[in-house]
Amino acid sequence: MAVYKRTYKGYSGALTAAWSRFLILPRYSFGRLFQSKFLVLFLMACFFYPAGCAVFIYLSHNLSFLRVLNVQAANLLEINANFFYIYCTVQATMAYLLTALVGPGLVSPDLVNNALPLYFCRPFSRSEYVAGKMSVLIYLLSLITWIPGLILFLMQSSLAGRSWIFANWWIAEAIVVGSLVWIGVLSLIAMAMSAWVKWRIAAGALILGVIFVGAGFGRALNAVMRIRGGAMLDLAQDSFTIWSALFRLPGAGQDIDTLDAVNAIAAACLICLWLLFKKVRPFEVVK
Amino acid sequence: MIAKYWAQMRAVVRLEMKKTFLSRRGLWVYLLAFAPVLMFAGHDLSMMRTREERRAIAAAHPVPAGALLSIQPGMTREEVIARLGEPNVDSRQIRFGGGRIRREFLSYTDGQSRYVFGFADGELQSISVREEETFAQDRLIFATVFQFFFLRLAIFFGCVGIFTNLFRGELIDKSLHYYLLAPIRREVLLAGKYAAGLIAAVAIFTASAALQLWLLSLPYESSLSGHEISAYLGVAALACLGYGSVFLAAGLFFRNPLLPAAGVLIWESANLFLPSALKKISVIYYLQSLCPVVASPHREINPVLALLISSTEPASTILAVAGLFAVTAVVLVFASRRARRLEINYGAD
Repeated sequence: MAVYKRTYKGYSGALTAAWSRFLILPRYSFGRLFQSKFLVLFLMACFFYPAGCAVFIYLSHNLSFLRVLNVQAANLLEINANFFYIYCTVQATMAYLLTALVGPGLVSPDLVNNALPLYFCRPFSRSEYVAGKMSVLIYLLSLITWIPGLILFLMQSSLAGRSWIFANWWIAEAIVVGSLVWIGVLSLIAMAMSAWVKWRIAAGALILGVIFVGAGFGRALNAVMRIRGGAMLDLAQDSFTIWSALFRLPGAGQDIDTLDAVNAIAAACLICLWLLFKKVRPFEVVK
Repeated sequence: MIAKYWAQMRAVVRLEMKKTFLSRRGLWVYLLAFAPVLMFAGHDLSMMRTREERRAIAAAHPVPAGALLSIQPGMTREEVIARLGEPNVDSRQIRFGGGRIRREFLSYTDGQSRYVFGFADGELQSISVREEETFAQDRLIFATVFQFFFLRLAIFFGCVGIFTNLFRGELIDKSLHYYLLAPIRREVLLAGKYAAGLIAAVAIFTASAALQLWLLSLPYESSLSGHEISAYLGVAALACLGYGSVFLAAGLFFRNPLLPAAGVLIWESANLFLPSALKKISVIYYLQSLCPVVASPHREINPVLALLISSTEPASTILAVAGLFAVTAVVLVFASRRARRLEINYGAD
């Protein structure tokens, strides 16, 4: 064919449905992420605690003789809201570390290599881009938080009987809602840091730092200014406060009110979204 | 030969200085370092304003401290007003239980402390006294903030930012080969980069600590002793020295220095709970030993975790300083060995 005939022609093949276009991004991201052996090992390590909990639940229903012999031991083996609250706390810590590993590599490579125009010259919106990148984290973090949590809940329900599930259905709700709140906060922080700090290592350090330094600064602020509101800067504490309300454990989050915690989390999410949309654009102004 | 190495090292320090102090990538280090300064400045402003307000109110409505102390729960609103006079600040009424219970709060001040009397349906139920802050209290708070926020978080993350950037940042920017192609020993290059990072970190963090100490004593007539001030500044500088060497080495040994940084962070944070022997294998143990005031762990710590806290005798000053220098020297020797074999593959990095 003569060169002059090779003119531009629009793509005439089948189009991916508009609603599912954002799922293309996680497909490629997972392929790249799972090349890292360390990440795979860490992901496996994230399932140790849920596996331990499953064994614990099984034993608590098979050591009935222990209950007869020792009342204290029976109390120790009780599976209640506190058990699932502790489960959520442990898995939230693992989720946080996993986010620090995975998060920095989500947006920054696209920005460093000026790849965003290649996404946005296609029928693909900024929201879809953010949703696609976020879904990588949402999927991974769900895999280690509320999904095993619900499996443990179902396991307990099947062993304890139908009456237990009717009396404690709200625990399942607390596991899902509490985990989703934490996943949302972590994902947005990771995406915002990844978009603003192009150096992956620095972005990872900032993801770690936002929680640690926020907590430390909040406590220091409380001590120096003799206030209590500094605890709102501690996003982990805010989440624990929300969880304690969801799990109906009044003593677990004493520093701040639940409403203040919800407001702090919402404010953090909005700031992250604003930062994210400020950076994720189909053009870059080079000064 | 030594003179030549020294001149080369100074040249590296000169080149690195601008990159370390003025790099856009490192601006957040300033924010981290000077955040406590803003906090103490805010505290001073708030304290001075409150003190002036209380003194002005006390001058306009003098209430003797003895009369305030004589108020007991169970007294009626009228009895309190008869004894103390009309309340002078922030009196407010709130209704609870659908308006059935009327709560009222009356505030008085003797010029120093603020007393808030809480009434339910006209009967005194609670007495809250907010005393004027003292220098001794603020000194202890400073010690706690210094040890639990400034050393463990601000300097720690600041050093992560400054020192990992020295080698790993140049790898990312694809500019390290200019150094490696120059006729300069790798050890000298490492020493120069470390010195530049150390000068920057020490300047930033000791300046922040000095400002915090100045703001701490600003609202009071008394101030910290020269020994205490020099101890805090010295500890800040030693923290930069210790953590700096660790993160410089991390930048050389690991493609992603975040993993060792997270490991060190967890280890240093868990130091409170470690047994005595393990405590000594950390930077924070020696730094805390050098602090002039012993700060207790946070009062809101989980009671279960509080049981796990193990107390250990602090190291002597000489041992602590020598220990930090020794750790730094050992880490730098290992880092320089790694630097000798360093090969660049920008594609892989």
